[in-house]
Amino acid sequence: MSEKVIQMTGMRKSFGMNEVLHGVDFTLEKGSIHALLGENGTGKSTLMNILAGVIPGNAGTVEIHEKQYSLDHSSVPVSKEIGFIHQELALVNDLNIFENLYLGRELKNGVRLRKKEMAEKTQEILASMDVTLSPYTMVRDLNASYKQVIEIARALLQEAEVIIMDEPTTALTNVEIERVFKLMRTLKKKGVSFIFISHKLNEVTEICDAYTIMRDGIVVSTGKVSEKVTEDFMARQMVGKTLNYDDLYLKRELKEEILRTEHLERSREFRDVNIHVRRGEIVGITGLLGDGRYEVANTIFGNHTPYDGKIYIHGQEVQMNRIQDALKRHISYLPRDRKENGIVKDMNIEENLTLSVMKDLKKAGIFLDHAKSREIVEEYVRKINIKLEKIEDNITSLSGGNQQKVILARTLSSNPELIILDNPTQGVDVGAKLEIYKLIQTLAAEGMSFLVLSGEAQEVLFLCDRIYVMFHGDVKAELDRKEASEEMIMIAATGGEVKRKEESL
Amino acid sequence: MNREKKGLDLKKIVSDHSALVSFLVLFLVAVAVKGTTFLQFNNIVNILRNNSIIGIIALGMTLIIITGGIDLSVGSQLAFLGVVVINVLVSTQNVFAALLAGIGAALAVGFLTGFITAKFRVPAFITTLGTMSIYRSIGQFWMNGGGITSNGDAGTAYIAISNTSLFGVIPMPIIVWMVCAIVIFLFAEHTAAGRHIYAVGSGEKAAKLAGVNVIRIKTMVYVIGSALILIATVVETSRLGSVNSASSGVSYEMDAIAAAVIGGTSMAGGKGTIVGTVLGTLTLGIIDNLMNLLGVNPFLVNAVKGTIIIVAVLLQTFLNRKSD
Repeated sequence: MSEKVIQMTGMRKSFGMNEVLHGVDFTLEKGSIHALLGENGTGKSTLMNILAGVIPGNAGTVEIHEKQYSLDHSSVPVSKEIGFIHQELALVNDLNIFENLYLGRELKNGVRLRKKEMAEKTQEILASMDVTLSPYTMVRDLNASYKQVIEIARALLQEAEVIIMDEPTTALTNVEIERVFKLMRTLKKKGVSFIFISHKLNEVTEICDAYTIMRDGIVVSTGKVSEKVTEDFMARQMVGKTLNYDDLYLKRELKEEILRTEHLERSREFRDVNIHVRRGEIVGITGLLGDGRYEVANTIFGNHTPYDGKIYIHGQEVQMNRIQDALKRHISYLPRDRKENGIVKDMNIEENLTLSVMKDLKKAGIFLDHAKSREIVEEYVRKINIKLEKIEDNITSLSGGNQQKVILARTLSSNPELIILDNPTQGVDVGAKLEIYKLIQTLAAEGMSFLVLSGEAQEVLFLCDRIYVMFHGDVKAELDRKEASEEMIMIAATGGEVKRKEESL
Repeated sequence: MNREKKGLDLKKIVSDHSALVSFLVLFLVAVAVKGTTFLQFNNIVNILRNNSIIGIIALGMTLIIITGGIDLSVGSQLAFLGVVVINVLVSTQNVFAALLAGIGAALAVGFLTGFITAKFRVPAFITTLGTMSIYRSIGQFWMNGGGITSNGDAGTAYIAISNTSLFGVIPMPIIVWMVCAIVIFLFAEHTAAGRHIYAVGSGEKAAKLAGVNVIRIKTMVYVIGSALILIATVVETSRLGSVNSASSGVSYEMDAIAAAVIGGTSMAGGKGTIVGTVLGTLTLGIIDNLMNLLGVNPFLVNAVKGTIIIVAVLLQTFLNRKSD
């Protein structure tokens, strides 16, 4: 099984004066799942866009199924054989499965749709994928993993032999990821090849046969996935250095209690949540999708009301009825889904960063103090190393990691004692991720407290002093840094009881 | 991302200042077609005075649209507030009392629209579609479908508001419009509340989580809008000394929205400028004036106006797409 379906050699590509691919080679074998790894902006997407014929390449040859194309500022013709599944799914929620599959290439007799035939064909494809869904199911009613499955089905419908998946698992829970992986394995046996773009290295060792790691527009490492190819090895190749859970951890002295909840409860969302955070402490809450951590955090932040139970700040009971109540008590919140909840897309970097404190930057009692605002921005740009050209540039001109840093600076700017970080490194590349981890550690050492919400067990293991694991609205386990492991988190997150070595506390 | 800037990027300048471009193009067309008549001092003053009322209303409309809202009731509000002011004026014979009653009514009206829209998340289009009928209807019921004219010494004093001129040459309505424009410009660009308006329109969830009081900001823009409508009401009704509950302010919402949109305000919210809206109002004014000077059949004027509105917005979307 070493038939090559795709062979790219000496790929070069420049945008303006800036060369982003410096002669990249890439080979995909038939019936394999090939991981394409690298930080954001290393040229992975550019390479894939050239392969799929979305953009032209400057130089190099591309061979797809023995058909060879020499690129000289020209494009690969868009071929049916290659299906590109983008990160943001392109399905219409208000149509059913077969209508989505045939969208734009409907089978028709004159103007009349051959619905039955389309549904049957769809049924066939789904059956061949071992998926038991009716073609008449509305896409709106599917969960994220089945939507991913439908995208793959659409690629198969046009007889794709190579399917490119750009970070397919970021929006999925572990159970859902398994479903997509199972499908990939089934299709692999039938000779379909995958190119799998991901940031999650554990997925690579789990499902991929081969890997290619890119850094700064060149391939730094490529080969078969074997025992020698560990997550550690790949992370090192991607960033050029190695990482341990304790590498970034700073030993700190924990001081008085800042936050405590007693029997916190919101009907159906979560029950009897008792957590606490001390000054200088980094506390994690993790779990699978639907565990209730997001709802707990938003209740503490005054965004979800009403609630039962009690919230104490500095030992004093408080009512969190509005976000302003939380801000007044020096709690701030870094939201998940940066695009939707974080950035204000029509505003520039300065305005995005100062949004939380704008109303306090007054001169003459009315007008915005632009000088002071600039000062604040420049302070954070230095402090947390935000890479930008001008602070008047639009926020969307920055890379994902730098946008996240701007939003992080916004949450810091209101001078909080406790920061709730909800998925703090979502859509951020490995380099920026480490910078953010370091920053959190430094700030905690300076006496700031953090409540970190994350679905990635590794993230909380990297960062936290203590970890709460939630399952369906219940806190299932409270783990100390010393004892916590990925395995224990997984057990508690799926509803199991964690067995400690010494059961006495 | 690594965009290089060589000299002047003409396309970017044009797309950033599309309101100015539309205005200049029409201005030059007007000069070319009817140069001497058009450029006469009296004609220019006429254009400015005739458009000052829409100009003032459009300022508030711009802020409302930036938050992602709309106010269809501005014309009805003008008639209703006019009825309140003139009635109080006639019965008390006190200009001050009349204005005070107007302020009270305007704040109440603006707060009602804003609060229903912001707090209960009723789409502004629906809220103001409703209030548009309500205010018009109440005004007509009160006046039995007719109008009311100011009288007495107080009436004379009231009429003086719009019918005086600064230095004897610049009519008061123009001054009022410009002062309002400057105040609203400073508010929008240089105060925290002003910037919060943009933040709410561009990313409501993000703004809320950052601590912006979204309900307060959304309510506020309708209150400011109604305050500006009151000012426009006083300018309009004191010019004639009367108000008609049925015909005053009819279709003003269309002109105000058009002025904002030609001025570059995005109906999706988040984008727009006060300077743009002033230029948008003037663009509409020049069209009217030019049609008039050319003796175009008045029944055709709105067709031409409509066409130019669509062309101006097409130009903006086209340029924006190019510059992305």
